[in-house]
Parts: sequence; C-alpha cells; structure tokens
Amino acid sequence: MKVRTTLKACVLALALTTAPYSSIHAATPADQMIIGMSMNNLLSLDPAAATGLDVATIGANLYDMLVELDAKDPSKLVPALAESWKISDDGRTITFVIRKGTKFQSGNPLTAEDVAWSLQRVLKLNMALATTWKSYGFTAQNAEKFLRAPDAQTFVMELPEPTDPKLVLYTLGASPSAFILDRKKVMENDKNGDLGNAWLTTHAAGSGPFKLDDWRAKDSLLMSRFDGYWRGAPKLRRIIMRHMTESQSMRLMIERGDIDLAVGMSVSDIQALKGNKDVAIESVKRGTIYYVAVSMKDPKFADKRVRQAIRSLIDYEGINKTIMPHYGILHQRPVQSGLSATLSNPGHKLDVPSAKKLLAEAGHPNGFKTTIRVLSDPPFMNIATNLQSTLAQAGIEASVISGTGNQIYGAMRDRSFEIIVGRGGGGAEPHPHSSLRALAYNPDNRDEAKLTNFQGWRTSFFSPELNQVIEKAEVEKDPIKQITLYQDAQKIYDQQVGAIMPISQMIETEVKRKDVRNLISHPSATTRFREVYKQR
Amino acid sequence: MAVSALRLPPGGLQRLGRRLGTVALTLLGLLALTFFIGRVMPLDPVLAVVGPDADQSTYDQVFKRMGLDQPMYVQFSYYLNDLLHGDLGNALLTGLPVVGDIKRVFPATMELATMAIILGTCIGIPLGVFAATRRGKMGDHVVRVISLFGYSTPVFWFGMMGLLVFYAWLGWAGGAGRVDLAYDGLITPVTGFLLIDSAMLGEWEVFASAFKHLFLPACILGLHSTAYISRMTRAFMLAQLSQEYILTARVKGLSERTVIWRHAFRNILVQLLTIVALTYGNLLEGAVLIETVFAWPGFGQYLTSSLLLGDMNAVMGCVLLIGLIFVFLNLLADALYQVFDPRTR
Amino acid sequence: MTPELSPAIAASVPQQNGQPQSRGAALRQNLQRSLRRLTHNPMTVAGLIVVAMLLLVALFAPWIATHDPLAQDLNNTLKAPDAAHWFGTDEYGRDVFSRLVHGSRITLYVISLVTVIVGPVGLAVGTISGYFGGKVDTVFMRITDIFISFPSLVLALAFVAALGPGLDHAVMAIALTAWPPIARLARAETLQLRKADFVVAVQLQGASSTRIIVRHIVPMCLSSVVIRLTMNMAGIILTAAGLGFLGLGALPPMPEWGAMISTGRRYMLECWWLVAMPGVAIMLVSLAFNLLGDGLRDVLDPRSE
Repeated sequence: MKVRTTLKACVLALALTTAPYSSIHAATPADQMIIGMSMNNLLSLDPAAATGLDVATIGANLYDMLVELDAKDPSKLVPALAESWKISDDGRTITFVIRKGTKFQSGNPLTAEDVAWSLQRVLKLNMALATTWKSYGFTAQNAEKFLRAPDAQTFVMELPEPTDPKLVLYTLGASPSAFILDRKKVMENDKNGDLGNAWLTTHAAGSGPFKLDDWRAKDSLLMSRFDGYWRGAPKLRRIIMRHMTESQSMRLMIERGDIDLAVGMSVSDIQALKGNKDVAIESVKRGTIYYVAVSMKDPKFADKRVRQAIRSLIDYEGINKTIMPHYGILHQRPVQSGLSATLSNPGHKLDVPSAKKLLAEAGHPNGFKTTIRVLSDPPFMNIATNLQSTLAQAGIEASVISGTGNQIYGAMRDRSFEIIVGRGGGGAEPHPHSSLRALAYNPDNRDEAKLTNFQGWRTSFFSPELNQVIEKAEVEKDPIKQITLYQDAQKIYDQQVGAIMPISQMIETEVKRKDVRNLISHPSATTRFREVYKQR
Repeated sequence: MAVSALRLPPGGLQRLGRRLGTVALTLLGLLALTFFIGRVMPLDPVLAVVGPDADQSTYDQVFKRMGLDQPMYVQFSYYLNDLLHGDLGNALLTGLPVVGDIKRVFPATMELATMAIILGTCIGIPLGVFAATRRGKMGDHVVRVISLFGYSTPVFWFGMMGLLVFYAWLGWAGGAGRVDLAYDGLITPVTGFLLIDSAMLGEWEVFASAFKHLFLPACILGLHSTAYISRMTRAFMLAQLSQEYILTARVKGLSERTVIWRHAFRNILVQLLTIVALTYGNLLEGAVLIETVFAWPGFGQYLTSSLLLGDMNAVMGCVLLIGLIFVFLNLLADALYQVFDPRTR
Repeated sequence: MTPELSPAIAASVPQQNGQPQSRGAALRQNLQRSLRRLTHNPMTVAGLIVVAMLLLVALFAPWIATHDPLAQDLNNTLKAPDAAHWFGTDEYGRDVFSRLVHGSRITLYVISLVTVIVGPVGLAVGTISGYFGGKVDTVFMRITDIFISFPSLVLALAFVAALGPGLDHAVMAIALTAWPPIARLARAETLQLRKADFVVAVQLQGASSTRIIVRHIVPMCLSSVVIRLTMNMAGIILTAAGLGFLGLGALPPMPEWGAMISTGRRYMLECWWLVAMPGVAIMLVSLAFNLLGDGLRDVLDPRSE
C-alpha cells in the first residue's frame, strides 16, 4: 500500500515538473538572435583562409569591407569603408577614398594602410581565398607593388593584367578575403611570421558591428554588440550561432521558438512549416549552379554524342519539381541566372529514345557501366539517385559512390572520376566571367598544368574557341558588346556539349521567426545583422 | 572471507607489472595501426582546409605545411616524439591543439556515460538478482527477453524513436544538444559536467534544462548496459546460489532475503564491479552513435567528424584516449580479479 | 554493442571445460539429445523460426516483394502505409516493404561473409598460437590485443573511412574487428587440448604439426567456435547497421536497413514508417540470432548444465 502511494506521489511530482516545461518554452530573448546552422564547414575564421559560405556570413558581421553589394540588387555597389572610388580611363587602376574617423573594435584607427595590408596578407599567406586574386594577376611578390596606400585616406589598387574592373570591385564586395583587418592587433599576435593566421583562426580583429566572444568549433559561436560601430551600434545585443546538423531538430526548435533562424533545413521540413503562422520562409539565390559533370579524360565521354546522350538522360523537370524546391531552380546555362548576359534555357529534356540512338551511334547500343560520384547530402544524393535510374533506362549501369565534399571534389581535382553530381561555378560576383571562369574556361588542358581551380580543367573540357571568346569578353569595355560576347560563349558551350551540364541555379532557403525584422539574406552570403531587431 | 581475499596472491604484482609493460606495446601498436589507416585514407585533409576551388600552388603550400610531404615513418616518429612530451599535435583542419579539443568535448561524453552507467547498474543488478531467484520461471524469462531486447535494438534507432516520442510528440524530454539554446554558453565549465557546474553556481534553471536533455540519451544508452549487467548478475548469482553455504544458510533458517542479499549477493560484488567497469568502456562505443542522433557535442561526434574529414591528428588523439581507457578498464578488471577472487589462485 | 561485452571477461573468467576427449566424443553422441533440448526452449524456437523466415524471405525476395525495390515514382513519394504500399513509400516513391524484403539479402550476405572470413581466420590464428606457444603465441596475442583493446564499431569506422564506403568494405571492416575474440577462444581451447593424451599420441606417431592442428585440434574447437559465431551474428548485424546509419555501409540505392534508417531520419517527423520499419526489422533479426545463440550455448556449453 505504502509503496503504491509513494509511487503515485512520484508520478504526480514528475508530471508537475515536466508539464510546465512544454508550455513555457518561451521565445528567445528579445535582444538576442539564435541561429541554427551546420558548422561542419567552418574550419577557420581567418578571412584569408576561409572556405565556404558560413565564414562570409560571420565575417560580414565582425568585419567591414571597402564596398558592399546591395542585398536586394547585388549588381549594385554600395560604399562602405570606401566613401568613393574612381576607375582610371585605361581601366587598370582603382583609387579608393577611405572613410575618416573609423575605429576598429580595439580602438585603433582604421586607415588605408590597414586596407592595403589586409589584401596583401591574403596573397602572402596564399591560402584558400588567394585564388581569386591570383586569377587577376596578383601574386605574393607583386602584392605590395600593386596594392598600396599612398596616404592614410587613399588606397590604390592597380590591376596587373587587363580585366573588367567591375569584376574586381564585385570581388571586393563579396569575397571574405576582402574583409579589412586591424593590422596592429593582428601583428601583435603574429607567430613565426604567420601574419596572425593561427590567432585569427579562432579570433577576430575587425571594425564590424559585432565582436566575437567565443567560438567552439562544431558547437557554437557567440557574438556581441560593438557599441562604437561607425554606423551606430546594432540593435541586437547578442548573436548565438549554434551547430545543428539535424534538419528535424531545427524544425522542432524553430516551431517552438527556441531558435530565430534556421539555415540549411531539408525540403520536407520546410514544406511542413509552410502553414505555420509564426515563421517565414525565404529563399535567396546563390551564384553557384548544380550540375552533372562527366570527365572527358574518359574516352567514352570524350565522344560528343555520348555527352549529348547523357544530357538527354537527365530528368530536368522531375528533378527540379520534386527534389530541388528550396534548393534550386531549373537552369541550364553555365552562367548564373539573373544577369543581363544570361540566355534563356536551351530547353534540354529527358529524352530516352534519342539518347539511346546517340549511344548506338557512338558504339554503345547496350549502354555501359560507369560510376556517379556524389556528396552524401541532400539534394546531391537525391539527384544522383534519380540520374542513376534515368541512365538505367538507356542501359547505362551507374553505381553511386557517395562521400564527403573532400572525397568527391578531391577525385575531381585528380581528374579521376567518370560522372559527378556537384555544385560550383564561382558566382560570388554577379558577373558572367565569374561563372564561366569557374565552369567552362580551361587555358591549358595538360595534366601537368594542374589548373585544379578551373572545373573546365577538372573535366578535361578544352575548347580554344570558347576560351578566346571568354578572354575577349573579359576586357571588352563596351557593355553591349560584352553582353553579346558572353551570349556567344553560352551558345558555343551548348553546341559543343560542355562536360558540365547545369541543371539548377542554387537557392538557399532560410526559415525565420516572424518577429525577426530587417533580416535580408545576401546572395553572396554576406548577410548583415546590424539592422536586425525583433518586433514583439 | 573478505580479509583473506585482500591478501595479494603470490606473483600478483609481478604479473601486473608485466601487463603494464605489454599495455604500452599494445598502445604503440594501436597508434601505428591508426597512423597507417590515416595514411591510406582516400580523404584529403588539405582539401578540407583550402576548399574545393583553390589552385594548385595554395594546395601544395598547405600540403607542405601539414608535413604531409615527409615519408610516413618520419611523420610517425615526429608524432611519437611530440606524444612523449604530452603534445598530441594540432588538429590539421583548425590548427587547434588536439589536447584542448578533447578536454573540451570529453566531459560531455563522460557525463552521458556516467548517467547511463548509473541507470544501467541501478536497474540491471536488481533485475539480474530477481531473475536468478526465479530461475526457469516466468520472471526469469521476462528479464531474459528484456535484456535480449536491449542487446538487439540498434542504439541509434532507439535514440531516434525516443526523440520522436518523448521530444517531438510528448515534449517531455529536451531535444538535441546538452542544454536549451538560450542557456548556451552561460556556464563557464569548471568540471565540464554541466549538471555539476550549474548546481555549484546555483543556476537551477540551467540544471533543470541540462537534466532534461541528458535523461533521454542516458536512458537509451543505459538500456544496453542494463541488458548486459542483468545477464551477468543472473549468471553470477546462479553460481553462488548453487553453493553449499547457501544451502547451509537456508537450513539455518535465515530468511530468503538475508540469504540472497547478505550472503550470495555480497560474494558477487567484485565480479559485478569488474563488469560495470568494462561496460563503462563499452558505453563509449554506443556514444559514437547516440551522440550523432542527439547532436551531443561530445567525444563521439568529435571522433566521427574528424574521421570523415580525414583529420588524422585528431583521430589519433581520440584513438589513444579510447585505447587508454579500454586498456585501463581491462587492467582494472583483471587486477580486481587477481586481488579479490580466491578462485584465480 | 555485442552481447559478449568484453573479451577480457572471457579471458579472465577461467574456462571450466571438461575433459577434452570426452567432450569431443560426447558432442557427437549428444547431438540428437541437444537438438531435442534446443527445441524444448520456446524462445530458442522463436529465434529459429525468425532466422528461418529471414532465410526464406531472402531466398524468395523477388516473389515476396510487391514492387521493384529500386523503381522510383517521384509522383508518389512519402506515402503512408496503405493497401498498395504496405509499409508506405520513401522519398523517391520506392516501396518500403519491398525494400525491406530485398534488404534481408544484404543482411544475410553481410552475416555469412563476415562469418566465413572470421571463422577460419580466428580458428587458424587461435590454434596456431595455442599449439606452438612461445614467440608465435606472444606475437599473435599481442596483435589480437591491439584489435581487442578497441571498441569494434570505432575500429570498423576507421577502416571503412580508410577503404571508402561500400558494402564489401564494411564487411571487411567488420571482419577485421570480429576475428580476435574467436582467435582467443580457439587459443584457450587449444591450450587445453595441446597436452591431451590423444594429441601426444599422434605426435609420437610422427604426425606433422599441420596435420595435428587441422585433423585433431580444429574439429575439437569447432563447437564452441560455432556457438560464438552464432552469438556474434547479432553483433555483426548491429555493427553493419551502425555503419550504414553513419553513411559508411551499403551504397545507394541498395536497400540496406541501416542506411534506410539513416535517410529516413530526414523525414522522421511525418513519416515514422521510414524509420520504424527497418528498425524493427533489424531488431527482430538481431533478437532472433541472440535467442538462437543463447539457446545453443545453453545446450552445448557444459557450464550451464
């Protein structure tokens, strides 16, 4: 008897203690924003060594740039640390006037020397993000010569090779490598001449609206308001980014108001949130493109007819309708959508009979065996699984090899793959050259050239004709003529059946609580939180 | 009985010393094995650092900086040398010291495993004793089936189902992570055990939240240990209950309760201790899967993510630690046997 | 987490085997009686039935399955269980029931392949080590120690990460982690047999070591090794599922149960069947093997008599 009453009491107590919790799941504090996102790709906070888009978002709030791309219209340049700039008539020199009286979070004044030094540093360290700058002709050796600060308020950038200065300006406004660092603070933490690289991996020294409090790798990152920000202190006091890989957990948490913003949720979870009145779902277009790529080193795929067959064995419609919602939008050009130079889609379709015919002409009437390499995450895996089944309809027996980004793109860099389902194509800069350079341009097709940053080289797609058009367009000063050239390039690419077959323009879908205001996701991922507040 | 058992068996210490020597050898072999695995891995840590779009010169530079251009044995000897100085090297990807990383993530796993073993022991031992006293009867069979279920359920699946039912549907348990996000980072780790840290500071709200998050994964992890512990308890108890002295005690007219708990159970305590010690080591294995399901920022997650990114320094640090724990627990179990169990001599 | 938690226990609990010769002989005589006893235990019978069913399902999978396990139907994705799709459909519109049915083949393939590798390797290492003793024994047992001093899942994880994901790689990795306990067992048995009269007698007749091991020692170890292998099967299933869950086991579109859970997890909140069904399948089969192993041990292991 006694036991039973004790038990009853226990159950009651348990019910009392647990019941309130499910209801008092009050929203997050009004002056804090909690973001759920995967931090798997966040390895270093050093702007020079940054990879992936997450660093861009974090850095955009810790640092400032010379110029910014307007979040609503990324082709529009907005002054930031640079009050104004001037391009010389020959298009080879850009002179920036640096805003006066700006201070870093450390209290050090921000001058043109900091600007020049920050950009030189990227080239001297020669880490991940030096690649873009090197493609403009900058090197570790010539950095000091071409990037200089004649006085505290003037920064001069001289372009070593002729290119479109607008493209360079876009890079300054989009690439994390263009964040301006506090030279003095960083050099205080220099270790064996690493220009502060080790220290900056986990610290920050910028002038941005938020200060970095703490970063625990693959766990969380905390930022707090910098009251002395030159644009005025931001409205939020604290920003918490939390490493979350489970889409379902994110969904539950945003439903309950445990987090304010969820990045990288899966389609099914986003769809399930559609009817929820407390959350808003927003998509932002990114420059990168989802594609199916074949290696033309493989004699099968060197045959244009086989490539054509593969191109008509992709179920563009099915993929974009069922797999890609919230991930991407049908797109079949090697230039990102939305630019004035971008042509409308050529209208490729799943067409098994003609693919079969092409395969038979190429000497594969019964298809062949091949492999598809793919990232094990959605939507890549889903695209690959779908491709596998459509290829099978033409007798092509493909086995899917899934892995981490590192395994998949590693094989691509080594040119040792057959088919890859991937995503890429630069696109940080809203400029056709950015996409074409990444996806189609290949100035030297030899193995020894090791142009591993060009996906054209990786797929062994080599078209001197196309290269010429791309090179010509890059230096064309007349905007109308330039657009025509870029359109020619896309036509040539389509005729020659490039090794990379675009299927979707990437979009990223974020889910946020309705009370979060002024949060505008940036196409270049440099989303800025300085204006964000909560309306309660 | 207890007094005579405490005496060291002849040669016991010597045996222990010899074992310690072989332990070092085993660990060395383990390291060499992992190092070799790391080298043949198709994963490229350089690529993880420089990103997919870097050009070759950047790649080569980072490759060299990581020391990957050196021959394998040279790399291994460097590693061993650092190890002797208590340095596990820096994680290749982040450049942070592995020792610091492990210090940060290990308490989370310890907290989980400790809670699980407490649950497992508190439930498993009474169950086992109960089953032994009902040998061959309904109660025995029920316990047997329960424990076999415990073995047979994939721990990750059980975790997911638990999350689905108790978090998503009922809202009783805390969800992923160690604590509600709003409390995140409020407690500066002292012991690293969130429950202890928050209790010491009197932050009872955080404590409650941490407890809600801990309970479910600990229960699920504990189920596996419950299964094993109850089985072993049953076996040990049966062995005792068939002994003469139990019969004598019964004949003397002692109550069944006294016979079981005072006599039989007391004699299997040492054996049980060794079992619990070993189970604790095995919980680390379950933690790898459970931490993935519950997004628990612990050792298992650290190990798997390092492994998947090819960060060999981090992986080797983890391997060394797990190896050490396992070897230590085995040693402990052995020592307990050597010292206490009269039958081994 | 395999039932036999730690090999150290097996080593530290002294094996109380009876006289080897009589045991070997008795085994054959008692086989029938054992079988009868085996079928007396209802739970063992239940285990046997499930295992038999698994075999039948795997054998007749194409006839039992209602759909092609790989056929996608993007217009019919994530449908709840109904008359057309008994266990619903997955994110590609594939029939979950049919995938489960075909998945039984993969499970069986993994179990049998691992057992076929592990049994002979463990036996060879164990008997050689036990028979020759001395340096051979030391070297072999050191190697075994290295493998044993590590949780099998973590080791398998490391191996698969090194080899690359794939079913065969997973099998190899599991086999690599599963042989040491068998070797230890075989060694312990051999140590007892080595000094037995009949072995000494054969030695005096001038038989070679190979012959003695193969003809006389191995058959004697077989029964306990077989029990141990049966009991290991549940562990193998769980490890394979764990690897599949971490994305390191069978490659898509193979309907491996662990991998099915892993992908189903993304849709778990609405589509519980994607996770629940394969999980139940794993649990059932692994439970069956555990029951079977348990029953076998009760019957064949003299300690439990």
